[in-house]
Order: sequence, then C-alpha cells, then structure tokens
Amino acid sequence: MTTEHHIDFAAPPADVNIVHEFLDGVWSRDASLTADERLAFELALVELAANVMQHADTGAGVACRLRMIVDEASVSALLSDTGRAGDIDLAACEMPDELSESGRGLALVQLVVDELGYQRVGSSNLWTIRKARAAA
Amino acid sequence: MDHTVEEVGDDAAVITLAGRVNMVTAPAVRELITGIISAGRVRIAVDLDAVEFIDSSALGSLIGCLNAARRANGDLRISRPTKHILAVLEVSNLIQLLRPYPSAHAALEA
Repeated sequence: MTTEHHIDFAAPPADVNIVHEFLDGVWSRDASLTADERLAFELALVELAANVMQHADTGAGVACRLRMIVDEASVSALLSDTGRAGDIDLAACEMPDELSESGRGLALVQLVVDELGYQRVGSSNLWTIRKARAAA
Repeated sequence: MDHTVEEVGDDAAVITLAGRVNMVTAPAVRELITGIISAGRVRIAVDLDAVEFIDSSALGSLIGCLNAARRANGDLRISRPTKHILAVLEVSNLIQLLRPYPSAHAALEA
C-alpha cells in the first residue's frame, strides 16, 4: 500500500519543529516503519529543511512544500522551496574534520538515505530523498 | 528541550538534556554550556539519556562546547546516548571524540 502525506509551510514563522510534528503524524498512520527507519528518515528530512531555512532564505522567508510517499519498498520525500538557488555540489559533500563546529548537514543526509538529489526548477529549489526499506 | 545542571566539586558540572536538540534548540544548549565553562566549571558531562533526537546542529553545539572546554584546560564528555544518538555519532565519525560513558559521573571521573 502506498500512502502520501503533504504539508505547506512558510519559514519563518515555521521552524524545523514543523517537520518533526509532520513526521509524528506520518508515523502514527504508517505503523509498519521500524524505529531505525523512522529516525534515519527524520534526521535526513530535518537536515534538509534546516539547510533550506539557513541558506535559501534571503530575508523574506521561504515558502516550502513537503510531499512524502511511503510504500513497501521505500520512503521518499520531495521538499521544494521558493528560496534562492543553492550553490550545491552534492558530489563534493563530505564530513568535515571532527573538531569542526558546522558543515555536517548534507554529508549526514547522504549517509543515512539511499538517494539525495537537488535541482533548480524555475524559481524553486527541489530536494529529493529516498530511503529503501528493510525487506519485511 | 529541557535541561538540568548539577554542579560537581569546584570545577565540574553535569548537564542533563531532554527532548530534541535541533536547529531550534542547539544554540541554547551551546549558550548554556559555554556559560558554565566561562564561570569556571570546565569539566563537563552531558547526559543524553532523555534526548530523543539530535542533528548536525546539535553535533556542532557539542563540538563547540568541547572546544571551549579544552581551551579552558577542561573537557566535555557525554553519557548514556540513545541508540539514535550513537548511530548519528558513528556515521559522523565522532564516536572517538565523543566517546560515550555509562553515567555522567563516570564520565567526569574517567
């Protein structure tokens, strides 16, 4: 069975807690996901949303649209925002030195999901993530 | 995000965190702990048993506090990370730097 979930929000006033609250609702309706699957996906999605809020906002805020699809094989999400284009080279994304105090976000996302994509489409940024589910 | 602070001896403190440490709450965690370090308690143990979620901003805050503690000739250690936190530390290559201890007091005494 495939289930779809979506939410639109503007940040600010919303912050990343809106993603946690959205996922709490998804998990309550998709009880088949394991705790490990949930936490890995939550980490990836919260990191993406935080990245958008920190880097895409030029001061006027960003409007975000989040769509999530859960089926037997995978969990995936599309996050689009109206912020400025990212100067992003996902292939060059790596974990910084251990004493570094920032710069881990996208590297973490890449390590906990199976696919991470970014593209600029018209005047929007479109982020996609997909995590394969453990065989039942 | 809730927290408690227990002062230990003259130069140490146990900070117990609870809830989510993310982009919203990580700056407050950093401010709390660096304030304690500035006030002279440079040996810090952060107990994570009741922390349900951390992300890269939480890691950044903890490393920032670790750096501050070390500059003051102290250290920062963590205790009782949940399975989720352990997984995040491992995937971030921070499990050696932030080696977990079984209790906050064990972390201070080690």
